[in-house]
Amino acid sequence: MQQITFILNGEKQVVSADPSSRLLDILRDTLGLTAVKEGCGEGECGACSVLKDGKLVNSCIVPMGSVDGAEITTLEGLRDTAEGENIISAYADSGAVQCGFCTPGMVMAAAALLRENPEPDEQEIREALSGNLCRCTGYNLLVKGVTLASERGKEKGIWQ
Amino acid sequence: MAVSYVPATFEEAVRIRRETGAVPVAGGTDLMVRYRSPAGTLPDFPWPVMFISGLKEMKGLFLEGAELVIKAGTELAVIEHSEIVHPVLREAVRQMAAPALRNLGTLSGNICNASPAGDAVCVLYALGAEVELTSSSRMRRMPIEHFITGPGRTVLKDDELMTAVRIPLHSDSASFYRKVGTRKANALSKLSCTGFITVTENRIVDMRLALGAVGPMVVRSAELESQCIGMDLNQFSNFKPDLRKQYAELVTPIDDQRSTAEYRKETTLNLIDEFFMLIEKELS
Amino acid sequence: MHQSINNDFLQKAIGTPVRRLDALDKASGRAKYIADMKFDGLLYARMIRSSRARARLLHVAVPALPEGYYYISSNDIPEGGENRLYMITNDWRVFAEDTVRYIGETIGLLVGPDRNVLRDLEREIKISYEDLEPAFTIDEGLAVKGGPIHGEDNIFAEYNLKKGDPDSIFSGSYRIVEDEILTGFQEHAYMEPQGMVGEYKNGKYVITASCQCPYYMRKAVAGILAVDQEDIVVSQAITGGAFGGKEHFPDVIAGPLVVAVHVIRKPVQIVFDRHEDISFTAKRHPSRTRFRTAIDENNRIVGMDIDIAINGGGYQSCSHIVLQRAMFSVNSVYDLPNIRIRGRAVATNTFPSDAFRGFGAPQGIFACEMHMSHLARALEMDDAEFKQQYFVQTGGTTVTNGMIHEEVKLPEMLEKVLESSGYIEKNRLYAGEGAAKAVGISFYNHGGGFTGDGEKEIIKARVRVSRDQNHKVTIYVSNVEMGQGFQTTACKVAAKVLGIPLQDVFFQNPDTSVVPNSGPTVASRSMMIVGKLVERAARQLKNSWNDQGAVDAEEDYVQPPGIEWNSTTFQGDAYPAFGWGICAVEVAVDPATAEVETKGIWTVHDIGVPIDDLIVHGQVHGGVIQALGYGSLEKLEVKNGAFLQNTFADYIIPTTMDFPAVESDLVENPYEYGPFGAKGMGELVFDGAAAAYAAAVQKAVDRDICSIPVNPELIMKLRQA
Ligand SMILES: Cc1cc2nc3c(=O)[nH]c(=O)nc-3n(C[C@H](O)[C@H](O)[C@H](O)COP(=O)(O)OP(=O)(O)OC[C@H]3O[C@@H](n4cnc5c(N)ncnc54)[C@H](O)[C@@H]3O)c2cc1C
Ligand code: FES
Ligand code: FES
Repeated sequence: MQQITFILNGEKQVVSADPSSRLLDILRDTLGLTAVKEGCGEGECGACSVLKDGKLVNSCIVPMGSVDGAEITTLEGLRDTAEGENIISAYADSGAVQCGFCTPGMVMAAAALLRENPEPDEQEIREALSGNLCRCTGYNLLVKGVTLASERGKEKGIWQ
Repeated sequence: MAVSYVPATFEEAVRIRRETGAVPVAGGTDLMVRYRSPAGTLPDFPWPVMFISGLKEMKGLFLEGAELVIKAGTELAVIEHSEIVHPVLREAVRQMAAPALRNLGTLSGNICNASPAGDAVCVLYALGAEVELTSSSRMRRMPIEHFITGPGRTVLKDDELMTAVRIPLHSDSASFYRKVGTRKANALSKLSCTGFITVTENRIVDMRLALGAVGPMVVRSAELESQCIGMDLNQFSNFKPDLRKQYAELVTPIDDQRSTAEYRKETTLNLIDEFFMLIEKELS
Repeated sequence: MHQSINNDFLQKAIGTPVRRLDALDKASGRAKYIADMKFDGLLYARMIRSSRARARLLHVAVPALPEGYYYISSNDIPEGGENRLYMITNDWRVFAEDTVRYIGETIGLLVGPDRNVLRDLEREIKISYEDLEPAFTIDEGLAVKGGPIHGEDNIFAEYNLKKGDPDSIFSGSYRIVEDEILTGFQEHAYMEPQGMVGEYKNGKYVITASCQCPYYMRKAVAGILAVDQEDIVVSQAITGGAFGGKEHFPDVIAGPLVVAVHVIRKPVQIVFDRHEDISFTAKRHPSRTRFRTAIDENNRIVGMDIDIAINGGGYQSCSHIVLQRAMFSVNSVYDLPNIRIRGRAVATNTFPSDAFRGFGAPQGIFACEMHMSHLARALEMDDAEFKQQYFVQTGGTTVTNGMIHEEVKLPEMLEKVLESSGYIEKNRLYAGEGAAKAVGISFYNHGGGFTGDGEKEIIKARVRVSRDQNHKVTIYVSNVEMGQGFQTTACKVAAKVLGIPLQDVFFQNPDTSVVPNSGPTVASRSMMIVGKLVERAARQLKNSWNDQGAVDAEEDYVQPPGIEWNSTTFQGDAYPAFGWGICAVEVAVDPATAEVETKGIWTVHDIGVPIDDLIVHGQVHGGVIQALGYGSLEKLEVKNGAFLQNTFADYIIPTTMDFPAVESDLVENPYEYGPFGAKGMGELVFDGAAAAYAAAVQKAVDRDICSIPVNPELIMKLRQA
């Protein structure tokens, strides 16, 4: 066990954890942040996506030893911001949410994309979501959702 | 339960490495997956580990003389987006996994993992990359093909860390890269093929071909390549069937859960044909 | 979307989209799936499973367990309880006892508070077996390799159907074309793995589960503890995808779980990790369909002799019903003369196969569509041109000698697809170019609801719709929201009937102690059958809308008039109504690597009337892409009885990059006995795309394709042949 200090959703967090424990488990079990899902535990599905130092990562393969000093953002930290709300409602309005298990990860992936590229085309959206598996939607409406988020976000000046 | 360390500095990392032999975890995208264990349990590492992704000293890439130096801890995403990296390496990295994974994984991890299906590894063979290994008492460098000795096997010593990948600057007339994965994105390779050709005054001055996932290690033959040097279009076209046959002997893939030996061999030879066509085009 | 927009459907057509009621909760991560829920004093369980495909189970050596840890096995089943699950068939055991029939069969449960400790204990359990000779394939099963697994001949079920007079045809002198079509295993790959928690509360066993069929589960496990079904309460947790994989299989988890809860009396959780979920849950049945088709001198089909066999795995479960659907679907949308169909569900030592979206129909339709396209090729005709000659029409006869009652809109649909896909011009152009490009097409239908009189005789659905003092309305049904959108569409139906805003209608996840039994969430029946009952109950409620206090309205299933079915002979109307579909897929095959690039996907469906356009298109996109995965990428091989592709790195489902957007179109064709004219659709949209894809590749490489997945390895082999 070791004291690991990091910034979680904007606030300083100190947890005592084995450095080899998965960030995913610490977020879900120790800190109760269950918007982060486990779909595979092997980096393949993106359900566990979070931002680490602003970059999209799979929390199921991030050891706590790599989190010391880092800044972690989960959907809990994003959903009530203008940025998060915009993506969430765009997915909802596009019919992009079915069983919803992949959706939190899809929100994080869209957030990471739109921060870097606020006006992505379809191909760029598909590439940005390519590490997030969804078995329900066939992806069409997710892609539309990101486009809608981009359009609305521009109107609202979210990425200025 | 494995002991784990989180060194704060590079010096500390090499010291821990020397004293304990702890295995470095960089991005963890190979190790955390290979030793994963059910939700809520710790990964099942059979040895002590140390987490090195936080070490700033191990990150960055820059030009030094006639070499591009990529420090060992540099994430794949950084390499993918860097203008000073050879376009074929950038392309190979871009086709690895998916964005989130490329934010974690490193080039050194791909090399040290020593999988014949490592996508960047195949390109690094063709680029003639060297790796730099550092312990608390010495530093050595060697060509990547000397570093990797078998599937999952390298000459890395228990007290060493890989500190950098050094890639000679390379200018070619044309290049060829093709990854055949299990699907269009977020896919492991069934096979891959990297080729470079340099032509001056209608003669081959440099030809390189590296083949991934078709044997226990990436295949590259200095001997076959050197036979092409100096050839013009006619000579190369005459030599081509024989060359293809010789490459065919080096291609010894297996059946596994991702593909079949037959498919891998056939497709690799088809891609070699495409590369040869490119060479002919450059020569004419 | 503002609430007012969300209620546009009250003034406009019912299909006018709304924002799904569950969308915000799910997208914001507030929705709690089973693994997200907190239970006081929760214990975790690991399944201890057979590592042998077929063996005598000699001994299970369990290490000394620390305080608070338990090993649960068949010895813990209370007196009077039975070691069997009351599923569709009762052959699947809760715990293996003297023998094991497949790799992954449950032997015991290891339960305790610390998952790291459980993992270490699990490794110390030593199981000794005496291996027996296993049978893995349909052929090995039929040959009774290693002795019978089931009965004397390994046949779980065999049925025979006859339409017209096939005997006279096949004794004649027609040209006979033979064919054999194969389909493989498919993994559901719902994104949320299987999971549930069992508790003992107020004298009842309460199971909170990711599942499709709460009442099925209640029935399946009550007998194990020798308690009444009412003593088992099943409450559905938000379910992260199911596709049939959470229809019966959760019973196999719930069985051991209730035994553990019975012994320990504390909450116990079983959540599979992905590796377990791929390796040790039920899959789609592999199938082998053989055709002998008689062709006359005018190149017309005069008869078909069909033999279907499906691999049921180690236990029967619902294999016989899957087989029936496969047989009833094996003439797809064609009204062909003189048909003989033999079907067998075969026992083997693979993991038991079970329900998966389409329930046998995808196998039957794929076989038929490919065979018909092979006939077209043999007769040098285009697929679409050849097939449309045999389109069934209103009043036409099905393979069970039933009648098509509804208007069949296939010709109109075909026109639409030909136009949107450019099928004719493109194929002409590509054939001229000799390029490895083509457009393929497939036709399909899917009967909604249970087969035959199942709804009337077995399910007997009941729904309740209530209005409270505040004029808020709640729908009580046992059908679940699992991603398909039923929560929203059911509420729309009630709101539209009552003329009240959507936010005044509620639909909670079912709990068997609260909701009546409106049947399982399967067979594309939720909207067509249960939605209709919601509509009727809402109408009833409307009449008493102004009554004082709270008002309840209940409705029971009534079979539409004119439906005749004999469940012994399988003669008559197997389904009251069908959804219809056409899919076209354009591909280009890489000459060097045999990789396929899908250039376009076009569909037209007749699903009656959409209750929500957006939800319907979402189902079409999802179903079609899942089917294209089945047809192209999703190879699942069995090696020595174990699934070889057992991670998401190796079991390859489509990503965003594998297929372009599906262009989905609908024709309206209201069904009198469905709510607002709706018919079933959830499975229909899966049934045809694999065949369209295979037909496209077939045309592009000019070789008959007889199996899926059509992956580059297969294409390479065909090209070399
Ligand atoms: C979902 C998924 C998709 C993937 N897709 C691809 C793909 O398309 N192509 C591909 O080639 N690979 C792929 N991989 C494999 C993996 O991501 C790469 O091999 C990656 O480059 C590994 O880097 P890492 O830093 O994460 O390695 P780690 O897991 O941290 O380490 C890998 C090995 O390298 C050693 N190591 C790392 N750094 C050092 C160092 N500085 N000195 C000494 N030893 C070191 C470690 O001890 C270990 O043995 C995929 C993995 C996953 C989970
Ligand atoms: S759970 Fe992390 S990628 Fe699937
Ligand atoms: S909505 Fe179900 S997995 Fe994406």
